[in-house]
Amino acid sequence: MKTFWRNFARNRGAVVGLVILVLVLIVALTAPWIFPGSPWDMAGAPFAPPGEDGMLLGTDSLGRDVAAGIAHGARVSLLVGAVSTVVSLVIGIGLGAIAGYLGGWVDDVVMRFTEFFQTIPSFVLAILLVAIFTPTIQSIVFAIAVVSWPPVARVVRAEFLSLRSREFVQASEVLGKSRISIVLGDILPNALSPIVVLSSLMVASAILLESALSFLGLGDPNMMSWGFLIGSGRSVIRMAWWMSVFPGIAIFLTVLSLNLVGEGLSDALNPRLPRNRGGKP
Amino acid sequence: MELSRLPAYLAGRLVKAAIVILAIVVCNFFLIHAAPGDPASIIAGQSGSADARFLEQLRAQFGLDQPLYVQLWMYLKGVLTLDLGFSHRQQASVAALVWDRLPATLLLTGAAFIFAIVLGVTMGALAARRVGTWWDSIITVLALAFYATPLFWVGLMLVLLFSVTLEWLPSFGMMSVGVEMSGIGKVLDVGKHLLLPALTLGLFYVAVYARLSRATMLEVADQDFVKTARAKGVPEGRILRRHILRNAMLPVITFAGIQAGQLIGGSILVETVFAWPGIGRLAFEALLARDYQVLMGVFFCTSVMVVLFNLITDLLYAVVDPRVEVS
Amino acid sequence: MTTLSRRGLMAAAATLPVLWRVEDAIAQGVQPKRGGTLTTIVNPEPPVLHIGVNNQAPTLIVGGKMFQGLLRYDAQLKPLPELAKSWEVSADGLEYTFHLQENVKFHDGKPMTSEDVVFSIMKFHMEVSPRARGVFARIKEGVAVNPTTAKFVLSEPFEPFLLMFDVTVSAIVPKHLFEGQDFRQAPAVARPVGTGPFKFAEWQRGNFIKLERFDEYWKPGQPYLDAIIYRVVPDSQSRRLALESGQVILTQSNDIEPFDVPQMRARPNLEVKTTGWEYMGPLMWVEFNHRVKPLDDVRVRRALTMAVNRDFIAQRLWFGIGKPATGPFNSSTRFYDASAKAPGFDVNAAKALLDEAGLKPNAQGVRFTIKHMSLPYGEVFTRLGEFLRQAFRQVGVDLQLESVDVGTWSQRTANWDFDTTINYLYQYGDPTLGVERSYVSTNIKKILFSNVSGYANPQVDELFAKGRDAADPKVRQEAFSAVQKILVSDVPLLWLMEMSFPTIYDKKLNNVITTGAGVHASFDDVFLA
Repeated sequence: MKTFWRNFARNRGAVVGLVILVLVLIVALTAPWIFPGSPWDMAGAPFAPPGEDGMLLGTDSLGRDVAAGIAHGARVSLLVGAVSTVVSLVIGIGLGAIAGYLGGWVDDVVMRFTEFFQTIPSFVLAILLVAIFTPTIQSIVFAIAVVSWPPVARVVRAEFLSLRSREFVQASEVLGKSRISIVLGDILPNALSPIVVLSSLMVASAILLESALSFLGLGDPNMMSWGFLIGSGRSVIRMAWWMSVFPGIAIFLTVLSLNLVGEGLSDALNPRLPRNRGGKP
Repeated sequence: MELSRLPAYLAGRLVKAAIVILAIVVCNFFLIHAAPGDPASIIAGQSGSADARFLEQLRAQFGLDQPLYVQLWMYLKGVLTLDLGFSHRQQASVAALVWDRLPATLLLTGAAFIFAIVLGVTMGALAARRVGTWWDSIITVLALAFYATPLFWVGLMLVLLFSVTLEWLPSFGMMSVGVEMSGIGKVLDVGKHLLLPALTLGLFYVAVYARLSRATMLEVADQDFVKTARAKGVPEGRILRRHILRNAMLPVITFAGIQAGQLIGGSILVETVFAWPGIGRLAFEALLARDYQVLMGVFFCTSVMVVLFNLITDLLYAVVDPRVEVS
Repeated sequence: MTTLSRRGLMAAAATLPVLWRVEDAIAQGVQPKRGGTLTTIVNPEPPVLHIGVNNQAPTLIVGGKMFQGLLRYDAQLKPLPELAKSWEVSADGLEYTFHLQENVKFHDGKPMTSEDVVFSIMKFHMEVSPRARGVFARIKEGVAVNPTTAKFVLSEPFEPFLLMFDVTVSAIVPKHLFEGQDFRQAPAVARPVGTGPFKFAEWQRGNFIKLERFDEYWKPGQPYLDAIIYRVVPDSQSRRLALESGQVILTQSNDIEPFDVPQMRARPNLEVKTTGWEYMGPLMWVEFNHRVKPLDDVRVRRALTMAVNRDFIAQRLWFGIGKPATGPFNSSTRFYDASAKAPGFDVNAAKALLDEAGLKPNAQGVRFTIKHMSLPYGEVFTRLGEFLRQAFRQVGVDLQLESVDVGTWSQRTANWDFDTTINYLYQYGDPTLGVERSYVSTNIKKILFSNVSGYANPQVDELFAKGRDAADPKVRQEAFSAVQKILVSDVPLLWLMEMSFPTIYDKKLNNVITTGAGVHASFDDVFLA
């Protein structure tokens, strides 16, 4: 653990990222106390610029406080990012493990299936899914998860393929352990580090994806997310730049910090490899 | 790879590709038909008034009164003969609609792709070459910034800067309309319109390719054949070009193949912001209007493109890298 | 209120010279000038350009340049000559005779005759347009008396009949290109051929539609413009930019979002008008589904009506583009009665009424929860949903928003699958043509733009029937005044606003809005100074 932290801390970017991320989390958790009441309440005059009318970041077209929106929006955006990542990890790890461990025709079928999902443009598929199930927070999470699991499946499969033939796995097999306990107990823990790195990036792209859906008017109308804020600010950008600039910066910082942390994790978990493997869509 | 095995390999891949495409077609068919609302009810709705007879007429005309499996069968039969159907909403054949809009999207995504590859790989190479210096840091930070900014937001900001404030570039469309122009003038005009959308769409991928190529180059630079070359006293620039860059390109190529489909997805956003007349917007509008045939046509077209592109990159990979086995 | 008297109509027809608008312009010191191209916007891109086959606003606006009706209407809905230079109505109100302009040609060079008129009314629009069918089904026979005279005989009197001849309702189409074919799939649908001042030239889908001057247009010397180009620009901010930068010099309908309008007004080179929608007379409301409890309770509907500040909606959301609604009739619709007013904004009275209805707030202050399906017609309707949610919250009603796309909205509204939603309907100048359909119980159908709320009141049915069938405008006024009084007390719907849409154009453009149908007009007199 200590070496982990030392390796992580060696990457200055990662530390900065972690600090930002923690700050965002704090804002998200304390939003109901910093900005009591609903972020939908009309708190001031419409289109008040930042600093005016007691509004730190200005107000929107209905006089709602942008700062309150961003604080409450952090909860929604992070939640969407986290939950959809968990869901796609479950799908991706499940399929990847099956394919990688069993190999053979199962592997072939699963990989065809994965390829199939990678062939359909993921954003188009997400739009289609949200439109079919009508935009609610559940359908958005579901759609994001459905389009983001293939890279996980590929990574997990590759790890499993290589780990499967290692001695400790073969030893377990000889000892007569069940397949499930081998997969969960022996292989998975050893395949975790790329998954951890990948998931930090997935949270980031889920937040971006949610904002893009909101931008096209496919967000949950009862949830104030950052994407909603940009989407509603987009059409008044000439009149009220603050409505889209500040949520944009919030997304930017959060996604940036998640990426930095991901890189730090990668360094810390895989000290042999050169930093910054990238390769995440 | 032995060239004699290429035809068999190719045939196998093509069969697999055809199966994937067919599966996509069927899957899309059901997904799209699962959406609430049908084209008839939308046309009726938007025409400001409707009666039962009107709806019946439209449904019969569109074939929506047939059972779903019959509709699927009709559609599959059509696709097998490359007939993508007819959009009753737009009174035009789907193939013609898609064909009309495809060049615009290819131009946009192609330009964005080349821009992303060239700038991304250059940045990546530069950073890898001077790893650990402030060059490296600046490039890494830039790439991260491109990566973390929402695409549509970049588009809005670029328009604000270059069209509204500076008035250098047009803010929307693909060409000036109503102005007679000669060949060169026309190309320049389209180029001017293309700049902002291609930049917007490409920036994200600049980041991706920069990071990817930097990482792979560092990895390759550590390998034995590079060390050998260096030991033999091959000049550093030559090593970079002949050994490192060439090998580092492989994962970039693979990744680009996978990304081809994502570019189309991104183009929906960019085409919306910049009023670019491509198939991304055609698909989005078709979805909103439940214009099933058009939507499925676009899906079909993009899947074919992505599958072909993957095939090409795989072949390229196999040809360039003798270590990859064709199986 | 305006009343169409037959005598008045004929007098109007007789005294109006064809070129009166141009003469108006000349009187103001602006000489019409030939030449120039009008670049404007169409949004959303229409699926087809043929009027009748499609009746969405974009199709009507573009198609209105290529086609013409027998009549046009001024802002008071008084009929003016178009393809009909004069007309007569028999004393019993059953026979309508139209005398056509001479030397009118279709874009393919063939002359337009009364045969085409009879075909368009009796066959074409009867087949393709449900709204026209509803009225034209009353025509017993249509006769081409001679090449320039067409006569329609009704089976019973129908006082608003003369309002049915605008290009947006019954454009005259060429019989020779449609007869014997499936009207929706005839080649002429893809390449429209009309009698209008501009003919179809080119359509690059997703990009632009180009119309060119029709040189053989029947008004000598007109049109003044060489061409009209409609550019397709899907993003509202790009549209605004295009207007500001002069890339387009005219925007209409929903092109510019209401919140952008104040800044457009401030630009010295631009003119902003909100007139030119009198013929359509759109009225917007919250649709209540009366099958959903407690919306079946009139006290609840009244309370919700009182919870909404309609001035705020008109001023703050629509920036004054539109007026707060007072009741079920748009004030530009005939037989509007200003004395019948829906309950005004009063939060305390609303709360009291809900208490009285037995809907007490729970610990969270919520009396009941209902859903609201936002209208997917743009940004401002999303804001409206959010505003209504906050307004209802004030009286203890929790409104859950559902966001849907057009496909879902159409389907669910038509199938009564909603609690509340927003809707706006054109009233077409007459209660029988555009108001009745939303309230009479005979029109409770699973179809859009019928009485989807499920409101039923035998008295209302009876009064609308009386107003529909009476030949005498006075009798109609009585019936419609009575029905308005009942409706404002039953509040079957929550009327929000008399809508209008901004038409914004460069001041060098003249004669843009001259009729009650505004930008739907043929533009044969529009010129660039």
